[in-house]
Formats: sequence, structure tokens, C-alpha cells
Amino acid sequence: MANTPLVTRRHAVVSETRHLLFSVMPGAVWIFVFLVLPSLYLMAVAFMSNGPYGLPELPLSLDAFKQLAGFGFLGWSPGNFYTLLRSLWQTLVSTALVIVVAYPIAYYITTCRAKLRPLMLLAVVVPSWTNQVIRAFGWMNLLAPGTPLSDAAQALGLIGQHMGLYPSNFAVTLGLVYNFLPFMVLPLYAAFEKLDTAQVQAAQDLYASPMRAFWHAVFPQTLPGLLAGTVLVAIPAFGMYVIPELLGGGKGMMLGNLVANQFAGGSNWPLGAAGALLMLLATFVGLFAMRRIGKRLGGGEEVVI
Amino acid sequence: MRKRTLNRGLAGFWWLTLAFLYLPLAIVVLFSFNSTNSAANFTSFSLRWYHRLLGNEQIISAFYNSLILAIVSSLVALVIGCLIGYGMYRHRHRRLGWLIVLIYLPIVLPDIVFGISEMAFFVQFNRLTGLLEPGLGTMIIAHVTFQIPFVALIVYSRFVGLDPSLFEAAKDLYASPFQRALHFLLPTLKPALISAFFLSFTLSIDDFVISFFTAGPESATLPIYIWGAIKKGVSPEINAIATLMIGAVALAAILSLLFNRQGRR
Amino acid sequence: MKTITTRVVAGLGGLMLAGAAQAEEGKLYLFNWTAYMDPAIIQAFEDKYDVEVVQNYFNSLPEMFAKLNTGGVSQYDIIVPSNYYVPRLIETGLVQKLDKSKLANFDNIMDQFKNTDYDPNSDYTAAYQYGVTGIVYNTETFPDAPKSWSLLFDPEVNPGRPFGLMGDGQVSMGAACAYLDHGYACTDPEAWKASAKLLLDTKQRDNFSGFVDGTPALQQLARGVTHVSLSYNGDYLYYKEENPDSFANIEFMIPDEGTEIWVDSMMIPSEAPNPELAHKFIDFILDPEIGAQLSNYNYYSSPNEAARPYLDEVLTQPPVTPTEADLERLSFTPSLEGDKLQMFNQLWTEVQSR
Repeated sequence: MANTPLVTRRHAVVSETRHLLFSVMPGAVWIFVFLVLPSLYLMAVAFMSNGPYGLPELPLSLDAFKQLAGFGFLGWSPGNFYTLLRSLWQTLVSTALVIVVAYPIAYYITTCRAKLRPLMLLAVVVPSWTNQVIRAFGWMNLLAPGTPLSDAAQALGLIGQHMGLYPSNFAVTLGLVYNFLPFMVLPLYAAFEKLDTAQVQAAQDLYASPMRAFWHAVFPQTLPGLLAGTVLVAIPAFGMYVIPELLGGGKGMMLGNLVANQFAGGSNWPLGAAGALLMLLATFVGLFAMRRIGKRLGGGEEVVI
Repeated sequence: MRKRTLNRGLAGFWWLTLAFLYLPLAIVVLFSFNSTNSAANFTSFSLRWYHRLLGNEQIISAFYNSLILAIVSSLVALVIGCLIGYGMYRHRHRRLGWLIVLIYLPIVLPDIVFGISEMAFFVQFNRLTGLLEPGLGTMIIAHVTFQIPFVALIVYSRFVGLDPSLFEAAKDLYASPFQRALHFLLPTLKPALISAFFLSFTLSIDDFVISFFTAGPESATLPIYIWGAIKKGVSPEINAIATLMIGAVALAAILSLLFNRQGRR
Repeated sequence: MKTITTRVVAGLGGLMLAGAAQAEEGKLYLFNWTAYMDPAIIQAFEDKYDVEVVQNYFNSLPEMFAKLNTGGVSQYDIIVPSNYYVPRLIETGLVQKLDKSKLANFDNIMDQFKNTDYDPNSDYTAAYQYGVTGIVYNTETFPDAPKSWSLLFDPEVNPGRPFGLMGDGQVSMGAACAYLDHGYACTDPEAWKASAKLLLDTKQRDNFSGFVDGTPALQQLARGVTHVSLSYNGDYLYYKEENPDSFANIEFMIPDEGTEIWVDSMMIPSEAPNPELAHKFIDFILDPEIGAQLSNYNYYSSPNEAARPYLDEVLTQPPVTPTEADLERLSFTPSLEGDKLQMFNQLWTEVQSR
């Protein structure tokens, strides 16, 4: 008799577990089969050797990683290193620029009338609903030789005669900033909206200069939003494929292009897979670092999204 | 005084940023009405590219492919994601760390890694079994994979926002779980479901890289077609197609605005 | 709206059966270069056999090869690769032998395009068209252009005008080899290294605008995005005919250091869904009048001996048919395999990424 409640409880646990399985399993299995397995397969490809025509073959080898590091038939060559540096540099510069633009914008929206704010946010986000290929195409049209912007840049001596602003590394940076701006504005706006004004007021009384008031009272409060935005911008920017391909014109190759070329140009699957693995690694390191920083700053909040 | 200057400066910056955001799109729209195929000079107003577009079978089929892909994948993702969202809420007191990791994976994975993994996997799978040949089927699978997390998170946060006692009340009111789902869960979820579907749809339409790597010979979507046309440099209709897509986005923006207004009332 | 609903339902059904062989009776999947096929020929073929032809396009051979490797081998019935990709297609088992008994018109092909180096017994290929890769440039910008690769590679000849190089690495490399007097068809590692170095230096120049494939290169030229680039003789004439105004100042040239001549052939992928129909299509193209119609449409030389009487006048003159002197300077792009191919790929990746 005494064990009846136990049985019911166990029964309840079993049925709860069954409920959990039924509700969560279809999706979990789906993601596992169609994303985790493929990623694992891709990792395996990185450790295979390159067949005579670029397809992965056994035996296992570390050749792909050696090639990625620049060791090949010709001894060491810095090509891939350049690509990696360029990816890092573009990510860094575009993320910084995005922050510089998004920060005042997000603040400005919070100072506007409450009724206007959703409209303003929408105005920032709507361009990103169009396809990124279309957006890049718009910039191709704007920056090509002979367009007003290119003519102006020529007149200022920024680019050579007869040249256009596109294709160039500058066009890639611009494309990246354009592409990712909304990703930064949204989380920053959320942070500004939650700003504790009493604290800001106190700071204004405490510190004479508005600069110091900003630095000590406003900035720390917006940091979680800034970090979230940085994650949302930097990770996809680092792996960008479309923008360098369309706007870079052969000088702006980034890691995403190196990886894609090994598959879409049919030359070396293991090398492409190794590059993808590097990208994955960078992504997780970036996420982890952001989380750590976020925690240390005492945000305590979920930084990602 | 100083504050006013700051505000005025900010307002100016705001309008400048808006110009930056909309200039490339405006150019595309403007030149879709250009009578000559030039990006530098606007000659005169003409609808010739729209006429050519309507006569182009490939564009029309790409349009249908985009639509089918977006609708089907969003529907599938809605069902699966909704279940996960509910499961996550209902069992939120358990240790579901593995599930969170699994759900965030499609979100954080760079597009290119995502697309290439799927492609390599589908190719290998197809070689071994003859199933999953590249085409609309594989594209739908890939799209559902990146849509599920967003649906799940939206549904989950809707549940979290509810008063827990509502669930107790529903339990008392409706005996069978099925009735509960029909009369309580679905109606409460409706706004979340609509916005989740909307978001999935947008994500699908917006995607290029993943579609590009999982597509087959007959499943080119509009972005894939445009990409090909840019690469070939042969299709002056690009401006016209892009303009139609931009128009659709503008329409969606207006709808979502109206919908929001109504929701608040 | 109803059709969309039906399609959505069909799409859902399709998801369930994803991959269940899509081969439909009466469909031919053609994977071809862009602007290379007369729509009227496709229409005639569709009418004659009551079938549907689905066309897909590629811009470069690496792209075509990659597509075949990623599932295309069982999705296309006909591919049209150039000579130097034929050996690797055969060796990787991506193509199947032709059944000559089904190709009554096979003998129409000129002897020089049968039993070739790249397909010794003509087991796999049926020649489609042949042509020349050369320099296209703006005569307004370069009124005294030398008949030489220096137009691309010498900064003194072109100090400030934007220019492009070919997206297919083997062609760009060949051009650099030719400019350095190693000959277009060079495969010597030292010559390659020197050429790769030249390509790198060239790429670093401020007025280098990018690696482009042959067809888009022409559009860039017409739009003034570049002023000199690499492209094909037939495409040049085709677009000039289509848009005489934009191409008024664009000229095609065969440099004296030599350049590429190529042959594109029709081949059938090893797992083609409909090889029967593919053979019918090849035979249809090899028909004398259809072969001539094709050349008259795309401005490339016909390898079809029997088609000669039906060819337009323009096809017998330069640039479609080069002068004797120019012809001697043309060579095929070498097919690469094994270590050579890997070495080349590394050099090319290096050129692209720096």
C-alpha cells in the first residue's frame, strides 16, 4: 500500500518523459540528421586525402590542413594566410563601422516619440528583408565606373581615373556594413530602451563632463546589447560569401570564398572542408569569448539573441 | 541648448543612414524603368524589362520555386518548431542544455558551412542510397532546418509570457489533451504562430547561400536566378525582378505594421 | 491561387518522396554554356519528338565539373565540355560511351575532330562547336593596340584603364605563359611559376578589375566597366549583333604570342536519366542543316563537314574563321591530371587569394 504514490509518481515521470520525447524529438532528430550529421561528415572530409580530381578519398590524412596553412608543392606560400587575414580585417573593420553607425541611431530612436519608434525600427530592418544578392546588386550599380559616386571619388583623387569604387575591398566593406547594420541596431535599441535613467541622472550630477557621465552610466548599461549585436554581425561577416564574390572583383577574397571555391570550382573538397572547420572553430571561439565577457560584466543575461 | 544641437545632429545622422539604407534599393527600382541597359545613364522611362520578364519562362518557374519552397518549408518548420517550443516550455525545469545547443546550432552556423555540409552530405547520401537527389526536396529540408529554431524560440517565449495558472485552468476545463490543444493552446498561440510563419517565410525568401548549394537543375529560385544572371552579366531584367521582390517586401512591411497596430488595440 | 495550392501540396508530397527518381519520360536535361543554343533548334527538337527540353547553363568548366560531382551526374542528359576537361570526365567515370549505332549522323563530323588526343577512339564525344579565345578591347581607349598580350600584362601599354582576366585559371595562366614566350600550352612547372608570378603582379595593379568568365567579360566591356578583357570569338559576334551600339568600339583580337583554340563536345553523363533521348538529341544536332543553323545562330565554327553548304557568309571570315597566320598560333589548352593538376590548382588558388 505504501508504495502506491511512488508508482504513480514513477508513472507520472514516465509519461512526462514520453511527452517530452514526443514534443521535442521530431525537431531534435531533424536537426541532428540534417545538420549535425552533415557537419560531422564535413569534418570527416577535412581529414581525408584529396583525390586526383578534387574529391575526398581514403586514406585519412592531414594534408588538407597543411594546405590550408599554406604548405604545398611549392613550399610555403602565404595565399591562404592573406585570405584569413583579409577575412579577419574585414570582419573587424565592418563590425567597428556598424557599431559606430548603429550606436547613435539606436539611441536616437529611443529619444523619439513612442508611437514613432516601431515605425523607425521597421524602416531600419526592411532593407534586410530583401535578398542579399539583390542588395549587393544595388551596390554594384551604385559604385560602378561612370556612376556619380565613382566620379566624385575620382575627382577627390581617391581612386584612379576611369576606375570605379566597385570592384574593390572598399566595396566589400561597404556591402558588409550595409548588410549587417540592422543586426546591431535592434539589440542596441533594446538596451537603450531599458536604460535606467535615474542612474544616468545621478551620474550627470556626479561627473561634471557629459562624456564621463556617458562612459560611467550609459555605456555599461548598453554593453549586453552591444555584445549581442557584435555576435550577430561578426560571425556571419567572417563567413561571408556573396558580398566578396560580387563586390570584391578578385582582390577581396575571404575565407567563405576560399571554402566555396573548393566545392563550386571543383578543385579540392578536403581543403574546403578544412577551411569550413576553421570557420566553425572561429565561430565557437567568438561565441564563447562573448559569453565570458558578458558574464564578467555581470549582465547575467543571455547574450546571444 | 547643447542638447538641442545634439538632437539635431542625431536627426541629421538618422536621415543620412536612411538614405544609405534605401539608396541601393532605390537605384534598382529606378533603373528597372530605364529604356536602355545601362547602370550609369537613365535614358527614358520604359516598361520593356517587365515585358521581357513576363515572357521569360525561367523567371516564372524560379518565382514559383521560391514561393513553394518558402510556403512548404515554413509549414513544416511551423509544426516541428511548435512542438519543440511547447516541449521546451513544458519541461523547462529539466536539464535541456543539449536541446538548447541543438537549437542554437542552425542559428550560429555560418551560411556557407551550413550549405556546404548539407550539399556534401546529400551528395554522399544520394550516392549510397539513390535518395535525396538535389532539388526542391533537399532545399526544403535545408530550409526547414534553419527555420525550426526560430519557430521554437518564438513559441517558447510566447508560452513563457503566459500566466502559468492559465494552464491549470485549461486542465480543469478540458479533459482530453486533444481538446486542450484545440481550444486553449492553438488560440493562445495564434499570434505567435502567425509571426513565426511570417519570419520563416522571410528567412526562406532571404536565403541564397544555402539554397544555392542544395539546389538541383530544376529548382532554381529567384535569388539563384538573379545570381546566375549577374554572373553571366546577360540579364538586364534583373532590375525588374529585383524591383518586384522589393515591392513584395514593402507590402509585407506595411502589412506587418497594420497587423501590429491591430494587435495593440 | 489554386495552382499555387496544388503546387504546395505537390511540393509537400515531393518532400515525402524527395529523391524518388525524378527522371520523367520525355524530358531532356541539357547542361550547356550560356548563349550557345538556338531556341529554335530546341523548339524543333521538342516538336519532332514530342518532348520537353530543360536547359541549364554554366559559365566555366570548373563550375560544370563541380555540378556534375555534386549530383549532376544523374540529373543531366547532355553536357557540353571543352576538350581539356574531357579526359578527367572520362577518368572519373562521370560520362558514358556513346552508342554509335544510334548516331546516324556521326560521320558528318570533320576528321580532325574524330579520334582526337582527348578522346582517342571517339568513344565519348561528338563535337559540337569550336572557337577561339582572344582579347576583346575598346578601340576608342586603345586606338593603337598592339596585337599582343601586352595589352593585358604590360602596365606601360595599359597604365590606367580597368581590365579583367579569365575566370578559368588554365586560360589566364596560358595567356601569361604565352606573353612570357613559354607558349600558350605550357605545362612546365618553372614556366607556370613565372606565369603565376606575372598574374599576381598583374592582379596587384590598381586597374585590375577582376577575374571574369568569357560571357560576362563582354557585358562589362559594353558597359564600360572594363576596357580590355578575355572572351570568345563567337560570343563577341553574337552580342555585337544583338547590341550594335554598345559594341561599336569593341574589337576582338588574336595576339601574336598565340592563344587558345577549343572544341566543345556533347557528352552523356554516366547516370543520365534519359540516355536514349540524349542520343537522339546528339544525332539531331549533327544533322547538316541543324548544325549550320546552330553556327549561324551562335557564330562559332561548325565541326560538321556536311553543314558547310548551309553556313552564313560571316562564318567564313575572321574572327570566326581566323586567318592562316593566326591559325598557326593557336593551341589547345592542355588537360591536366594527378600531381600536375594539384600543383596547378595550388598555384591558381595562390593567385586568387593574394
